[in-house]
Amino acid sequence: MQLAHTLTAVARRNITMMKRYLFNTVSALISVYMVFCLAFFGMKAFAAASASRALDGTFEGTIVGFFVWTLAIFGYSGLSWELINEAQTGTLEQLYLSPAGFKWVCTFNLMVDFLVNVAAAVVFLFAMMATTGRWLNLDVASIAPLLIVTVLGAYGAGFALGGLALVFKRIQAFFQIVQFAFIGCLVIPWRIPWARFLPLSMGNGLIYRVMAEGKRLWELPAADVLTALAVGAAYLAVGLAVFSTCERAAKARGLLGHY
Amino acid sequence: MEHHDGIALEVDQLKKVFRDRGTREVRAVDGISFRVAPGEVVGLLGPNGAGKTTTIKCILGLIRPTSGRVAILGRDVASHYPGILSQVSAVLEGSRNLYWRMSVWENIEFFTGIHGLPRRQHRRYFEHLVERFGLADKRDVEVRKLSQGMKQKTAVVCALAKRTPLVFLDEPTLGLDVETSYELRETLKDLAEEENRTVVLSSHNMDVVQDVCKRVIIMTAGRVVADDSIEHLMGLFKTRAYRLVLRGPAPEGLEAGLAAHFPGLEVQSTPHMTQVRLRLPEPNDIYMLMDLLRDAGATIEEISQEEPDLEKIFLEIVRKERENQCNSRIP
Repeated sequence: MQLAHTLTAVARRNITMMKRYLFNTVSALISVYMVFCLAFFGMKAFAAASASRALDGTFEGTIVGFFVWTLAIFGYSGLSWELINEAQTGTLEQLYLSPAGFKWVCTFNLMVDFLVNVAAAVVFLFAMMATTGRWLNLDVASIAPLLIVTVLGAYGAGFALGGLALVFKRIQAFFQIVQFAFIGCLVIPWRIPWARFLPLSMGNGLIYRVMAEGKRLWELPAADVLTALAVGAAYLAVGLAVFSTCERAAKARGLLGHY
Repeated sequence: MEHHDGIALEVDQLKKVFRDRGTREVRAVDGISFRVAPGEVVGLLGPNGAGKTTTIKCILGLIRPTSGRVAILGRDVASHYPGILSQVSAVLEGSRNLYWRMSVWENIEFFTGIHGLPRRQHRRYFEHLVERFGLADKRDVEVRKLSQGMKQKTAVVCALAKRTPLVFLDEPTLGLDVETSYELRETLKDLAEEENRTVVLSSHNMDVVQDVCKRVIIMTAGRVVADDSIEHLMGLFKTRAYRLVLRGPAPEGLEAGLAAHFPGLEVQSTPHMTQVRLRLPEPNDIYMLMDLLRDAGATIEEISQEEPDLEKIFLEIVRKERENQCNSRIP
């Protein structure tokens, strides 16, 4: 029951804060949409100029890639930014005083944020499809599990950066690097053997096959799905291990309340 | 309020050493021990850097101690963490414990929620606290729009609303004006008595500690240098601090003669009168004082016991401790 009250409290806080920072939430979505428009219209102009149909499949890939990238960025940056902000506002130590344990407060926060992020990303997805005129297959039963598996790696990165933020406080420069690294992971074709082990890469490829090629989850090669799951879980485990190590260091050095 | 029969808080040989880049050692808390009984309101006093906040954070598990043991309501904190936190609440650094973009009420509901309290069940108590702290008409106002005093009060309410038997208040009146500080400490004092909670209050403000607490633990340089009831400390200093008024200017050699025996001597002399303030190291030293005055040919016009306050006691204890430390360093 205690955990249920903790979950309710976290959900209510997140929704309240989202409403209070509505401008920030909306502007984040608009800015990602504008980046997408630049990429899409740029590619379209290039295709028209070269009178080629070589980029035909790429438009769908771009939509799927942006959709996954948005969720990944919102997920990882939401977690690490939150830890930085909580330390700055002085509420981080109060969260650590929860009898449920900080890990549960953090997990519930991630769950609630993930649902909110999915809702925002779906709005963004429809905006992309409307802009491009390419309507993709939205098989929720197939996409939802693949999406979770795919963003696990992003949350792993979020935990790792969050942990580093506990110790080093100012790690904003890292954010940009990871953001671009994620783009790299999505752009590199996942059929290249080593690319399968990059975060997001394999999952993004599988989501593409569902959304652009109309495949169902059970029609996908089981080995590919399991690889995506194992890679996501591995990155999450590494992220959690980094977070745990940093948390211990922060407690030993008395850094939790610093900012 | 539910209480363990024995001891509410037990700190045993607690030590925290910070290492500066692996070389220089800073002993923030240097093997301190103390116990707090259920329902007791204890003040933790000390100059800046004395180790008060580090001690509180070590007790709460926010800082990992180098060694030592902490038990809350008889249960070892390290082996019952974080579940043991259900018995504890804390205000750390005042208003920095709140979400400024959320209202007073939303903050209360959130922090009690993550403490595992169902909000509907405790709604009346939250309302009672909001009323007691004069926040009723501000309960739906975002914290950022409140004055510093109101923010501090909200932080205290959020801690008390968790209904824990043990409450830590680290500098709850920091940055408050005299009136708000007085108001806050009066409410704290009343609530501590009414609800019989165990409170550990750390503050630089002596008036707050003197007014709210029954017992004080004085820390300096990471060590406990005094641990006594405020009443006893006052009595101890009261019986030994004297003010004398002598007729005419100070007789020759009197000041030097007194200084050799009495610490903290102050002599102010005018052509018409001399005022002497001193403290007797031992109660029987009053006879020696009288002998010295008679031998110097002084005429006593007035003699009175000084009324000590906690600030004077604190300064005296800290001064003494520093002197001892200096002496111990001289080979």
